Amino acid sequence: MKIRGTVAAALASAGILLVGWQTGTQVNGISTVASSTTATGTTGAAGTGSAGTGSSGTAGSSGSSSSTGSSSSSGSIGSSGSSAAGTYKGNTVQTRFGPVQVQITVASGKITDITALQLTNTDGKSIQISNRAAPLLRSKVLAAQSANVQTVSGATITSDAYLTSLQAAIDAANL
Amino acid sequence: MNTQLLPSSPGASSSGRPELSSATRPARGWFARQHRQRRLRTDLLTVIAWASVAAAIALWLADGGATNIASPASLFTAAGIVAGLAGMDLVLLMLLLAARIPFIDRTIGHDRALAFHGKLGKPSLYLLLAHGVLLAIGYGMAEGLDPVSESVNLWVEVPDMWLAFVSMALFIAVVVTSLVAVRRRFPYEFWYVVHLLTYAAVATSIPHQFSVGGLFAAGTWQRWYWVAICIYTGTALAYFRILEPVLATVRHQLTVARVETVAPGVVNIVMRGRKLDQLAETGGRFFIWRFLAPGMWWHPHPFSLSAEPVFNGPDGQGTLRVTVRSLGDGSAQLLRLSKGTKVALEGPYGLLSTAARTRNKVVMIGAGIGITPLRALLETTPFAPGGATVLLRGRTEQELYLGNEIFDLCQARGVRLFHLTGPRAHGQPTWLNEDSVRSGYSLTSYVPDIKDADVYVCGPAAWAANVMADAGKAGVPDDQIHHERFDW
Repeated sequence: MKIRGTVAAALASAGILLVGWQTGTQVNGISTVASSTTATGTTGAAGTGSAGTGSSGTAGSSGSSSSTGSSSSSGSIGSSGSSAAGTYKGNTVQTRFGPVQVQITVASGKITDITALQLTNTDGKSIQISNRAAPLLRSKVLAAQSANVQTVSGATITSDAYLTSLQAAIDAANL
Repeated sequence: MNTQLLPSSPGASSSGRPELSSATRPARGWFARQHRQRRLRTDLLTVIAWASVAAAIALWLADGGATNIASPASLFTAAGIVAGLAGMDLVLLMLLLAARIPFIDRTIGHDRALAFHGKLGKPSLYLLLAHGVLLAIGYGMAEGLDPVSESVNLWVEVPDMWLAFVSMALFIAVVVTSLVAVRRRFPYEFWYVVHLLTYAAVATSIPHQFSVGGLFAAGTWQRWYWVAICIYTGTALAYFRILEPVLATVRHQLTVARVETVAPGVVNIVMRGRKLDQLAETGGRFFIWRFLAPGMWWHPHPFSLSAEPVFNGPDGQGTLRVTVRSLGDGSAQLLRLSKGTKVALEGPYGLLSTAARTRNKVVMIGAGIGITPLRALLETTPFAPGGATVLLRGRTEQELYLGNEIFDLCQARGVRLFHLTGPRAHGQPTWLNEDSVRSGYSLTSYVPDIKDADVYVCGPAAWAANVMADAGKAGVPDDQIHHERFDW
């Protein structure tokens, strides 16, 4: 009778593990968002920045992933000190959950967009954390216009690396 | 056999003749069916326990856990995560086993649940240690650090990780103080307080599971599993270990009615209360009692009922009785309990009851104070006349506590009764007295048909182990041996 219980338990466990494994390989994990939030910002911001007109920006590409248009319109004069419009990459910061690197888009002396080139990605959890933290950090930094923002709770490692890389990018842009 | 003696007035028991309740002959096939159902429930519990560990790992796999293994570092990290998940799952299983959930108690009994709880202690600690070590190696390799500096880094840099280190230290403390060799050196109270730290250990481990670990990460399957199992465990502990005992105490409003001397150092504590009809058929099972008097209220006493609850007043009013031998300081105070002392209770627990029966015949073997719960069981458990045998062991007739009550019950219900008194046999491990051993008697001499009976054993641990070994040799299957620890 103990044998019956043990066999049933072993079979059930094996079945559960198999289903889990199958699901895992089919979903193929969760991919990093780093690439998805990228491209739109860079070219778009560069375009509006050089055009220097706010009207097209506001009306135009107000996509969900980048708020470039509205912010660039305010800084349309373009005479903001030494910083030139363009994109600046921060250095790559190594963390235990993977490398982190961000790139900022500057127009008229303002950070108009932040792109995560690399985000913590060693395991499913890190990717989840990155996916959650990156948009939050991005909007916080865009609002504060500096790397001096609070880290995202539950994603401190990612946040710290993100903001370190961001500070390097800001330094490079001479903001 | 010269051991089949009439009791020579063991002590003065004033509780009078035990009243026979409606204990009757068993219905045909009833115990076999009960046995099948209990076996099915046991198998179900086994499956649930294994499957929960498998599910913890499977859900991690389903969330893509294994797809990121690409380097030695990620392999170590993945192994560390799996060890942590399995470890956490085992810790929750241990808490559930100790939560006194009625389904578990009624299926495998309190003692076996706790024995299993104890067996899981070391494996879960090893898994948690492996979790820490493997992750320190894995993370360290990813960052180019050795595991030690990586651990320091984790402590300093990652929020909530210092709590996880504290948690690990607490788990180590809990398991080490529970090792038999260590536990013997300290009083029960010390062990108990350290064991309560388990809750602190689990509590301090949870923050890092949110912030660093993936157990509760949004958008994953794992989240729901862990949320469900954690909430269930917490609720079960709060309900069955705290709320239900408080409700039972309020419900029954027990007070000490009288304390009667049974033998030197042994007393009956009779308690009066209400709604005792709800505790019918609990004779022989144990409750945890707290006598709410100054200096005593914090001391929990696990005592079995030594008689069926008696209730005949309105609202189920009546009396309960436990028989207690003074061992430690705590129970010496019990001899002087004053009338009217309020009593808190938790229970009933354990399988020393009819619920454990698998056969129509029954054998009860008790020693010393362990005789008293058998006295209660003898009162109610169904058997046909001639279908039961009782063996009582004590150094003297005086030590066969409640022996005269048992004699009366045996006479009324048609039970074979043996008194095995006298010194223990020298030289060999035996549960029998010297006379029986010298005469060449064994368990089957007293109970030739023991193979086809349920055997209830109640007495000191070493003695009971010898009884059970003999029963096994006589061909009694494990399922038919029912034992309750009685070396409190």
